[in-house]
Amino acid sequence: MNSRNSKMTTDDLAFFGTVNASISHELKNILAIISEAAGLLNDLTEMATSGGDIQLQMLQNCSRDIVEEIQRGFVTIKRMNAFSHSVDDPVKAVDIADCLDLMTGLAGFLSYACRIRHQPPKKQVPPVVTRPFRLQHLIYQTLVHAFKSVGPDGEIHLSLQREMDDAARIRFAGIGSGHSAVFPTESAGSVAASINAEVSIDEERRTIDIVVRSLDEAGCDGQ
Amino acid sequence: MNDRINLKLLMVDDEKKFLESIAKRLELKGIQVVAVTTGQAAVEAAEKELFDVALVDFQMPGMDGAQVLKILKHKHRYLEIIMLTGHATVDSAVECTKLGAFKYLEKPYAFEKLIDVIKEAYEHRLKKKFEHNQKRMDELQKLSLGRSPLGLLRALSRLDDDEK
Repeated sequence: MNSRNSKMTTDDLAFFGTVNASISHELKNILAIISEAAGLLNDLTEMATSGGDIQLQMLQNCSRDIVEEIQRGFVTIKRMNAFSHSVDDPVKAVDIADCLDLMTGLAGFLSYACRIRHQPPKKQVPPVVTRPFRLQHLIYQTLVHAFKSVGPDGEIHLSLQREMDDAARIRFAGIGSGHSAVFPTESAGSVAASINAEVSIDEERRTIDIVVRSLDEAGCDGQ
Repeated sequence: MNDRINLKLLMVDDEKKFLESIAKRLELKGIQVVAVTTGQAAVEAAEKELFDVALVDFQMPGMDGAQVLKILKHKHRYLEIIMLTGHATVDSAVECTKLGAFKYLEKPYAFEKLIDVIKEAYEHRLKKKFEHNQKRMDELQKLSLGRSPLGLLRALSRLDDDEK
């Protein structure tokens, strides 16, 4: 087995660190909102205790915000947990739709993230045997590039379709123009090669495609 | 005890819920708050009204906090700016200090701490304006010696009159 594929690289660790940093930033923002809403609740109740008007609408808004942000926190932690466990199995059958859902959620924490519209597949896409962590890494790098190419006010369309019995095609559409010169980067190319994935760019259609093929039982690409 | 603080504050953060809660809490303390959700809106608001202190979120989509800081400090010399961030690093703290930020606070922070920092920033602004006014008074005195009234008016119009 190619040793490049079996060991974590510096790039892998950098990716892991970047995602965890964005998760911690998201959790801090959530806690800041809860903290301020709770503080305002406290201020309003103190005012009411001192004889001021009871500002019912504001009290309701604070309560609602706290509940919503706690829910947002749970979703964030669930994603963090799924991401952390992606290194448990070096090679496994991966539901690509679930993987895309997780990575778009995690990439959405980036301050320059744009809107992502998921287009449902026309046919069910069967799981692909691959390295889950490396696939996540490749999808994340592609999303980061897509975000930077369109800006935070833009929109990317994401679709998934079945290619052959053991392959899936992920398409990122609506990419900003002039990106083929800078993507895939050396890092993205290396990650793609390690999981037998192909990255192709269509400048005219403004799309990036990732075709993910199944690895064999040994986790090799058959070469 | 009346601990109301009489100053005008500009606040920018892309997290709307955070912005609304903290703006209300600051208003309950007597601070007049103008709250906006983008860096561009903050720059535009500062052009329309005179603010004493600004609270600026570091990480925002589009025009980020560092860009807002740079523009505001360039255009409004006496505006004191406090940077807020959920992701404090040494590099970003150094960058903000070099660009002229008064202080750099990491979220979540204690509200009382924020109030203290706002008061410090406001006092710093008042001190700088006082020193600037003193300097102007000295310059005016020098100008007025031995000049005709018309000559004095011409000299005054050449003085740099940055009220901000």
